[in-house]
Amino acid sequence: MATVTLSNVVKRFGAFEVVHGANIDIKHGEFVVFVGPSGCGKSTLLRMIAGLEDISGGEIAIGGKLVNDVEPADRGIAMVFQSYALYPHMSVEQNLSFGLRMTGNPKADTDRRVKRAAEILRISELMDRRPRKLSGGQRQRVAIGRAIVREPQVFLFDEPLSNLDAELRVQMRVEISRLHKELGATMIYVTHDQTEAMTLADRIVVLRAGHIEQIGRPLDLYDDPDNLFVAGFVGSPKMNFIKAQIVGQDARGVVVELAGQEKTRITQPLAGAAPEVGSKVIVGVRPEHFGSAGEGDTDLVVAIDVVEHLGGTSFLYARTAHGEDVVIQRDAAKVPTTSEVTVSIRKSYLFDEKGLRLR
Amino acid sequence: MRNRNATAYRFLAPYLLIFSVFWVWPIISSFMISFQATRTVPWRFAPGFNWGRLIGDPAFFNAVKNTLLILVIQVPVMIALAMVMAVLLNSPLLKARGLYRFAFFAPVVVGEVAYSAVFRLMFSLDFGIVNKLLNSIGLPKIDWFSNVTPAMALIMIAVTWRWAGYNAIILLAGMQSIPEDVYEAATLDRVSKLKQFFHITLPLLKPVIVFCLVLSIIGTMQLFTEPFLITERGGPGGGTETLGLLLYRQGFRSLNFGYASAVAYTMAALAIAITLVQLWLTREKQ
Amino acid sequence: MSSLSSARLRRSIALHLFLTPLALIWLFPLWMMVVFSTMPDNGIFSPGIELLPHGNFVDNFNNLQRDTNFVGAIGISVSVAVTYTFLSVLLTSMAGWALARYQFFGKGVVVGIIFGTITLPYAVVLIPQFIMVARDFQLANTWVALIVPPLFNSLGVLFMRQSFSMMPDDLFDAARVEGVKEWRIFLFVALPLARPMLAALAIILFLASWNNYLWPLLINSQPGSMTAPVALGTLIGLTKVSWGGIMAGAVMLTVPMLIVFVLLQRHFIAGIAAGAVK
Repeated sequence: MATVTLSNVVKRFGAFEVVHGANIDIKHGEFVVFVGPSGCGKSTLLRMIAGLEDISGGEIAIGGKLVNDVEPADRGIAMVFQSYALYPHMSVEQNLSFGLRMTGNPKADTDRRVKRAAEILRISELMDRRPRKLSGGQRQRVAIGRAIVREPQVFLFDEPLSNLDAELRVQMRVEISRLHKELGATMIYVTHDQTEAMTLADRIVVLRAGHIEQIGRPLDLYDDPDNLFVAGFVGSPKMNFIKAQIVGQDARGVVVELAGQEKTRITQPLAGAAPEVGSKVIVGVRPEHFGSAGEGDTDLVVAIDVVEHLGGTSFLYARTAHGEDVVIQRDAAKVPTTSEVTVSIRKSYLFDEKGLRLR
Repeated sequence: MRNRNATAYRFLAPYLLIFSVFWVWPIISSFMISFQATRTVPWRFAPGFNWGRLIGDPAFFNAVKNTLLILVIQVPVMIALAMVMAVLLNSPLLKARGLYRFAFFAPVVVGEVAYSAVFRLMFSLDFGIVNKLLNSIGLPKIDWFSNVTPAMALIMIAVTWRWAGYNAIILLAGMQSIPEDVYEAATLDRVSKLKQFFHITLPLLKPVIVFCLVLSIIGTMQLFTEPFLITERGGPGGGTETLGLLLYRQGFRSLNFGYASAVAYTMAALAIAITLVQLWLTREKQ
Repeated sequence: MSSLSSARLRRSIALHLFLTPLALIWLFPLWMMVVFSTMPDNGIFSPGIELLPHGNFVDNFNNLQRDTNFVGAIGISVSVAVTYTFLSVLLTSMAGWALARYQFFGKGVVVGIIFGTITLPYAVVLIPQFIMVARDFQLANTWVALIVPPLFNSLGVLFMRQSFSMMPDDLFDAARVEGVKEWRIFLFVALPLARPMLAALAIILFLASWNNYLWPLLINSQPGSMTAPVALGTLIGLTKVSWGGIMAGAVMLTVPMLIVFVLLQRHFIAGIAAGAVK
């Protein structure tokens, strides 16, 4: 069983700590995506699982076996690199078989595995070409093929799609999903692109500055973020954040007033303890949660700067009376022609000053 | 990157072995030999013997003087010439670039013995082509081998011919690594080509020039083959004897290893001192 | 527009007017080497100005072979240069690989020492090296004496270190993940990728060995063990000697290298430009 367990994993470069005690439990056959902005430690974490970086503290276990001091090759993993890392002086066939040949795998078995990988990825007709003669998407397939021939328990992907153009990226995303279903192996995938994370993952691990911000299923992260960072990171265009203040409490929950706009009040039910009246909070509203006037709790008037038409939907880039930028999603048919528009807030999230979710 | 002590040292082992046996030990050994009287059997420890002799030896001072003289005149002339070659070879106006490049770079592959022989013939008094050509345009013959000044000049000409192209290659590569847009921007600002050279090329090329200077100084410091073969063992009468030649004469003709080691260490000290001065002169100003 | 191009034309003419004589002066010694090698001795020492080749090369070569066994010396030179180049490329690229690609204890010290030796004159180690090889190891007049001591070459190591560290990390990590041993990664991934740099290094090392004079002069001075430059050097300055023969020898030492230079100019220049070897 290829579970991957990280317990209190720490990485230091000299005195500089880049991963501060990560705990992650990955189940067999699960597709887990590490996502976060660059420098958040996601690639370092992946390279530690691969065995390409030493582990400064904590433990990593693969299939229940502690692997801290196990060589990369003996961990039952295979890795697909961002740069593809294809050997430019070898043909596709030689690239696929290189590792097996070098480690003395029987030739018949190597041939079988290479053939199978080529069939899975539909690159059989490219076997004699050099990487230089391949398109970006084909190189990507070969890189994945090189992982497949190892028949690993765990696949590791390090930003594999970031060198592809937008269209190919979508295509390869689907391909990787298909591969996951077909092979049933555990996959760990690193990306900075939240769309990739949302579309591929069974579970997402959101990282920032070496800390795990939240782990959860894609829609859980979207619907129920733990903090301001996750709320802002997941979803595109990102969630709007509006400064506000607690002004009271009623039967339904706390009453919040948007900064600088008396009368613009939202009532938010809270399960936990309510913050004191007068404390500053942040209201988060997703672009699609702005409704027409009267649909939600409260109405507010915004000045429209720019309208982006995407066809079916449109995005209004606007400013509140208090000068805060907001993005509002509308059906294309309902885009106002006026320079101001009244919108309502149908659904919102509340965060305290430290950025933690109030719920 | 993971720490891999054992792997790294396995790759380094053969190299470090050669290094220790043929460099580290000799460097130490050479120092110790310089404190021994080596013309008695067995050698005996006599700290002042060689160094004392060195300080009072006119042959030593003659060699130092000759070496420094060549250094001070030949190295700057050669580097300047190499710079001219590099700049002109780099000019977009140049046609048949390959031919010119061949002309200037070809001496780089010529061995010291081969070119020393040619220079000896070319500069011989009565039958040398150089004197014949001088004569044919009405100039007097020069006795390159019997007078000290022409002999020194000949050594400098020979060394410059051999190494100018070598330095030009390094400088040219340095110039070509300066991004083109820097010059385009300067041209748009109406900066003349000459000013571009002094205010863009030279400053950006400084590390490369220093590299050339240091290599040339160390090379010239050890000059041996040219005065050995062209001017016949440092002739006339020691007039072109360099430190390298003195070391050879003392160490391998008179088999006076102790004294020769002292000469070697003097060369090293001079080379290091000159290199340090060089680095100090061209240091990055804050 | 036309004034601009006529200014360019003037500049171009001035450039060629300056550079052409300089190039001819620079080629002159090489040309004279060829001319001398084809002239009979009494022609070389005659009052006339001779600037064109004659037909006496074979006679001159026979004279040279009579004065010293030059063919034998060339044989030694070729074998020594080939062996030296192979070993030196291997050693310097292994060391360069370790310095470029591994984190290890004492790395700073090793790099520092290698850098330090660049500015150290060879003369400092010459005498003890000679004593050690000739007296302690009793290796004078052997191939080992010619090949092994010059194997230490700091500029070559730094050149290879630079070459290897410019290669992308992922390439080697990919092989590591696949369980390929480090020495196989070096042999089958790193070295093939470094081919242009290895070619540059090899050419320069070959040239250095081919032309090396001082060390072979000292250590292999027996007639049967001399390299070609040393054999030729012994003739220079002798009174009864064929100068046409010496020139024929000089041509034989030089022309093959010039041909290699023309054919492999790119690698040649790359090697020198990177300061691979002095």
